[in-house]
Amino acid sequence: MIRFAIILFSFFALSATTSFSFAEDTESIDRVKVLLNQVDDLWRGESSYAVTSMQVKTEHYTRTMRMEGWSKGKEKTLFKIIEPLREKGTATLKSGNHIYTYLPKTDRTIKLTSGMMMGAWMGSHLTNDDLVKEARLEEDYDASITFEGERDGHNIIEFTLIPKFDAAVVWGKLTLIILADSHIPVVEYYFDEDMILARTISFSDIKPLAGRDRPTVLRVVPADKPDEYTEFVYEQLELNITVSDILFSLSSLKKR
Amino acid sequence: MNFAKLAARNVYRNSRRSVVTIAAMAFACAMMIVFSALMEGVIAGSERNVVAMNTGDIQIHQQDYRDDPDIYKMITSSAELSNAIRQIGFVASERLFAFGLMASDNSSSGVQLRGVDLSYESTVTEIHQHIMQGTWLEQTDPHGVVIGKKLARLLDVSLGDELIFVGQTADGYMANDSFNVRGILKSVAAGIDNSAVLMSNSMLRELISLPEQGAHQIVIMRVDKKQALSQASELIKSLVGQDLEVMNWRQLMPVISRFLETAHVQTLIMLLFTYIAVASIVLNAMLMSVFERIHEFGIMKAIGVRPLQIVSLVYAETIIQTLLASIVGLFLGTALAWYLQLYGLDMTSLADGMSFAGVALDPIWYAELSINSVLTPIAFLFVMSAIAVIYPATKVARLSPLEAIHHQ
Repeated sequence: MIRFAIILFSFFALSATTSFSFAEDTESIDRVKVLLNQVDDLWRGESSYAVTSMQVKTEHYTRTMRMEGWSKGKEKTLFKIIEPLREKGTATLKSGNHIYTYLPKTDRTIKLTSGMMMGAWMGSHLTNDDLVKEARLEEDYDASITFEGERDGHNIIEFTLIPKFDAAVVWGKLTLIILADSHIPVVEYYFDEDMILARTISFSDIKPLAGRDRPTVLRVVPADKPDEYTEFVYEQLELNITVSDILFSLSSLKKR
Repeated sequence: MNFAKLAARNVYRNSRRSVVTIAAMAFACAMMIVFSALMEGVIAGSERNVVAMNTGDIQIHQQDYRDDPDIYKMITSSAELSNAIRQIGFVASERLFAFGLMASDNSSSGVQLRGVDLSYESTVTEIHQHIMQGTWLEQTDPHGVVIGKKLARLLDVSLGDELIFVGQTADGYMANDSFNVRGILKSVAAGIDNSAVLMSNSMLRELISLPEQGAHQIVIMRVDKKQALSQASELIKSLVGQDLEVMNWRQLMPVISRFLETAHVQTLIMLLFTYIAVASIVLNAMLMSVFERIHEFGIMKAIGVRPLQIVSLVYAETIIQTLLASIVGLFLGTALAWYLQLYGLDMTSLADGMSFAGVALDPIWYAELSINSVLTPIAFLFVMSAIAVIYPATKVARLSPLEAIHHQ
C-alpha cells in the first residue's frame, strides 16, 4: 500500500500488508498480500536518505523548493529545506505523532499543536496531519482487489481500501491502481466520508532510483481545485543507510 | 375648599402611616432609578464594546469575505476609498487580517492577526484606550503587539514576553517572525479576547507579504451621531458601488442589535413588577386611611361636598405622599446611581468573563445616569399610585352620607 509521504521521503519501513484483514479466500488473501507487499517493497527500507523538490501551484502563487530528508524506522523522520534561500534551514522533525518545526529566522523550535494539524504543510496541498497519519494507515484499512485487466490501454490492478470500523481516519475510501506487470503504482484516489473524491495522487516518470525502477514524480491534485497541484520530484534516494538516532533529536534540528 | 391644605393635614394627621408609605415608595423609586441607570450603563457598555471597540458603525468588505475570510479577497483601492469616505464627513480606517500560529515559551495557539492603520484606527474606534496592561501599538515599535485577554492567559505570557508567529505568506512561503507583548486588551468580544493579535498594518503587510495597497476591511464611524445609521449606510453604499459589501453593525451583528433594542423593554417590565408591589402598599395604606375616616367623609358629604371633590381630596393626599416619596427617591437613587457611575458595581465574582452572543460584558457594571433613567421610574411611580387609589377614592365618593355618619 502506498502512502505518498512515505514515497516522498522514504520515511518509513512499511509493514502494511501484514496487518490487513483479508477476504475468506486464502488464495486471494495471499495475492493481495503479495502484491501490496511488492508495492511496499518499492520504497521499503530500514532507513533512508532522499533529496526531493516540491513545486506548489495554486490560484495565487507558484513556488518551488528543494529539501533533503532522513528516516529511520516508521516513526522518525527529519527533513530540511535546502532551497530557496529565504527558507533554507527550516527543518521539520516527525517523531511518533509529534511534529516539530525549526525556524531559522527566529531560531525557535515549535511543536505543532493539534489545532495546526489540518493546516497546510509548507504552503502545499498536504496537511501536517497527512505527515503524521500516513504511518498509521496500514492499521486503519481493509484491502481487496476490485478490478483486474485492461483499462485505458494499460493492464492494471485496482485495490480498494476501506477504513476499519474503529479507525480514526479522515478518508471514506482509498482506491489504488497499479500496473499489472511491474506492480508500479499509477494513481491513488482519496475519497472523503461522503464518498466524494477529495484528491488524486498520480505517479509518473518511472526511472531507476536506488537500484530499481520507481516512479520519481508524484502529483497531488485537490479535487475541488483541479487547476492547483503540489508536485514532488525525486532527485536522489538511498535506502538502508546508517543513520544515528541522534539525528532525530530536537537539538539536531538546528544544526547545519 | 382648599384641597391641598386639607389633604396635607390629613397626611400629617396619621404621620406614622404616611411616613411608612412614603418610605416604601421612596425606596422603590430609588431602587428603580439605580436599576434603570445600571441597565442603561450595561446597554451602553455593550454597545460601546460592539461598536466603538471593534465593529464601528459601518464596514466594507469584498463581497464574500465575511463567509470565507481569505487573505486574497482584498479591497484593492482601499486607500482611495477611505479618503473619499473621509471627505464626505465620516471617519474611516483600514484593517488587514491573517491567520496563523502564535507560540510562546510554554504554549501555542491559533491566532487571528489584525493589522490596524495606526494613524486612523484611533479616530474610528476606542480600542486604543481599552488596554488592561501595557500600552497601545506604536509605529516606532513594529514588533510590539497588543493581544487579547484570554489569549494572553492561554499562551501564559505577560508584558514584554516574546511570541513567535508561524504562518503562511500570500506568495506561499513560510511567514515567521518574533514579537513582543506590548499590551493586553480588556475584554472586548469573544473573538478578540480568545485569538486577536493586533499589530500595525505595515508590519502585517511585511510579515504576510501582502501587496502595498489594499485592505480586507474598512471600518467607518459617523461623526454626527444624530445621523441615522441606515441613512449613513446608504450614503456609503452609493459611494462604494456594487462590487463591495457595505454593512452597518446592526446588520453585522443582528443578535446583539436585537438584544440591545429589547433591553429597554426589559427595564420597563422590571419597573412594572416592582411598582405593582409598591402600588399594593399604597392601595392598602389609602384604604386604611379612608376607612377610618368614613364618619368624617359622611359629615363632609352631609354639608354638601360633592363626590368628585372627595375623589380629588383622596387623590391630593396620594399626590402629596408620592411627591414627597419621589423627592426622597430621586435624591437617594441618583446619589447611589452616581456612585455606581463613578466606581461601578464589581460583579467579577459572579460575571467574570461573561459574554453574550460573542460580546464580552464588562465584569464591573457602571451605571449611566440620564434624564430618561431618572424620570421614567418617577413617572411610573405617579401613574401606579394614581391607579392604586382609584378604588379607595371611588369607594368613599359613593358613600351614602347618612350611613357614613353613623358608621363607627
